[in-house]
Amino acid sequence: MGSDAMRRTILTTTVCSLLWLMSTPAFAQVELGGTYAIRMYEDYIERGPGSFLGDFTGMPMSEEGRAKALRYSSSLPSMIERQCLAQSPWVGLYRPLAIRIWSEVDESGRVVAWVMGGDYLRDTVRIWMDGRPHPSANAWHSPSGFTTGHWEGDTLVARTTHVKTAWIRRGVGIPGSDQSTFTVFITRRENLLTIMTVQEDPIYLTEPHVVSRVWEFDPRASQGPLRDTCNVGVEIPSLEDTGEVAHYLPGQNPEEDYMVRTYNIPKEAAMGFAHTLYPEYRKTLRSIYTPPASCGRYCCGWIERQGLPGAAPGLTCNDGNLPAELRKAITGNGR
Amino acid sequence: MRPTLVVAILLMTAAVSAQGRATQAPVSTARADAPIDLTGQWVAIISEDWRWRMITPPKGDIVSIPLSLQGQQTAEAWDPGKDEAAGEQCKAYGAPGLMRGPIRMRISWQDDNTLKLETDYGIQTRLLRFGTATSAGPRSWQGITSAQWIVRGGGGRGAPRFGSLKTITDNLRPGYLRKNGVPYSERTRFTEHWDVHSLPNGDKYLVNTNIVEDPVYLQAPFQTAIHYKLERDTSKWDPTPCDARF
Repeated sequence: MGSDAMRRTILTTTVCSLLWLMSTPAFAQVELGGTYAIRMYEDYIERGPGSFLGDFTGMPMSEEGRAKALRYSSSLPSMIERQCLAQSPWVGLYRPLAIRIWSEVDESGRVVAWVMGGDYLRDTVRIWMDGRPHPSANAWHSPSGFTTGHWEGDTLVARTTHVKTAWIRRGVGIPGSDQSTFTVFITRRENLLTIMTVQEDPIYLTEPHVVSRVWEFDPRASQGPLRDTCNVGVEIPSLEDTGEVAHYLPGQNPEEDYMVRTYNIPKEAAMGFAHTLYPEYRKTLRSIYTPPASCGRYCCGWIERQGLPGAAPGLTCNDGNLPAELRKAITGNGR
Repeated sequence: MRPTLVVAILLMTAAVSAQGRATQAPVSTARADAPIDLTGQWVAIISEDWRWRMITPPKGDIVSIPLSLQGQQTAEAWDPGKDEAAGEQCKAYGAPGLMRGPIRMRISWQDDNTLKLETDYGIQTRLLRFGTATSAGPRSWQGITSAQWIVRGGGGRGAPRFGSLKTITDNLRPGYLRKNGVPYSERTRFTEHWDVHSLPNGDKYLVNTNIVEDPVYLQAPFQTAIHYKLERDTSKWDPTPCDARF
C-alpha cells in the first residue's frame, strides 16, 4: 500500500470511527417522558401547609442566610416585588408538586432537551442535552436558570446555573442566592422517579443542601394544564406604593423560638446550623431533649393532604389543625 | 476490494453488532461484577424530616406515613416501657426503620457474594446476599435480603459501566418505621434501589430509594429516598446500642 493509500485508509478509518461513535446511542438512556404524581411521605409539613415560622431544621445555613430568614414575615410574599420568590422552578422540587417531563427533539429525532414542567406558577426547566456550554458568568439570570445534562447510566445528571434569588423552604423565607448552583440526579426506575438535588450557595449556605425525593408515574396524567407564569397582583393594598417592606428587625422575630417552645428542640437545631444535620449531634440532644406531651398540629397530614375526606378510609387521627366540625364530618365523631 | 472500503464495512458491522448486544457480561462473582462501589463509611445527612429522624417524636405523630386504621391504632398504643420489658428495644432498628435513622453505616464485602452493612446506630448488621436464596430461618430485625446488580453500559470499546443495586428484604420481625411506634408487620416487604452519584469535586452520595409494602399497617406503599454521604474520615463512628426511647 502506497503512502497515499495509507493516508486515505487512516482518514477513512477516523471518519468512520467518528460516525460510529456518533451513531451509537448514549448508554441506557431512559424514557423520562410522562407525568409523575407527588408522594408526600417526606417533609409533609414543609411541602404541604408550609413550615412553621422559625423552623430551619435540617438546613446548613450561613449567618447571612439565618439573619435574612429571620427578617421574613408572612406578609412579605404578598408584596408584588416578592410574590414570585417562592416560585423558583428548581425549588419546585422541594415543594408539593407533580412533575411533567417531556423531550424536545431535532429533525432527526435526537433529544435536544428534556423539559420539566412543575405545576402552577412555575416556569419550565429546560435541560439541554446537545452539549452547548453554559453562558458567561455575567449573562442574564432567569427564574429557571440555565441547565445542561448528560446521562450516567439510567440517571440524567443536570447542572443548573444562572438562577435568580428565591425562597428555598416553603413559608419561612430561607433564602437562596443567585449564586446558587444545582446538581440534580434524575433516575427513573420502572414507575418511580427519584430526584436528588444538591444545592450549593456560597452566600446563604455553609455546605450543600441535599434533598432526595420520590415521585410515581401517573398514567392518567392527572396533573392538569400548566400555568408557567408567576403572575403577581395586589394582595394587601396597604403594602403597595407605601415604601413599606414587611419584615422583622434583627432580634425581634416573635417566632424565632417557636420550635424551641413547641417541640423542645435546641435553638441551634431550629436555626439551621450545619452540624445539627449529622448523627453525632444526638449526643447533644440526648441530654436536653424531652418530647412534647402531644403531637400538636399536622399529626397525620397525609390524610389531610391527599384528598379530603377519607383518602385513608376509617382513619380517626386527630390532625390537630382541622376545625372540629370538619373532623366530625370526616371521622363521624370529631375526635 | 479496496482496503478503505474493507475497513469501513468492518467498522459499520461492529457498530451494528455493538448496538444490538446485551450489555451484561458473564462474571463469576457479585464482587467482580459490581458496577458501582458501595463500600466505605456513609453518613446519613438529616436534611429531611429532621424532627422525626433525629429525635423521637411524640406518640401519635404519624405525619407523612400512609398508615391504615390498624396501623394508626397500633401507633397510638406505643409503650416504650413495654418494649424494654419485652427485650424489644430494637424494634425501631429493623431494616425499614434503620435506614431512615440517624446512622453511619460501613459497607464491605463479607465474601464474594455478600455485602455486609453495619451501623453504629443500634449496632446492627445487614447482609445483602447475591445469588441463590438463603433459607429463611427465624424472623429477625434485619430479615433476609436478596441482592441483584442492575448493570448498564460496559458494552465494549472501553465504555463505562454504570448500574445500581436492587435488594428485597423480607422475613422481618415486626418493628417500627419511626421511633415513636409507627408499626410495620411481619408481612412487610422492603425493596431498595441503591445508587451512587458523584459531584465534580469528588464528593459521593448514596441514594437509597425504598418502598415499604405492608398489607397490615399501611394502606399504600411507603416510598421515600434517603441520602448518605461517603466519609473519608471514619473517626465519627460511634456504636450505640438500641434505645427504645431516644
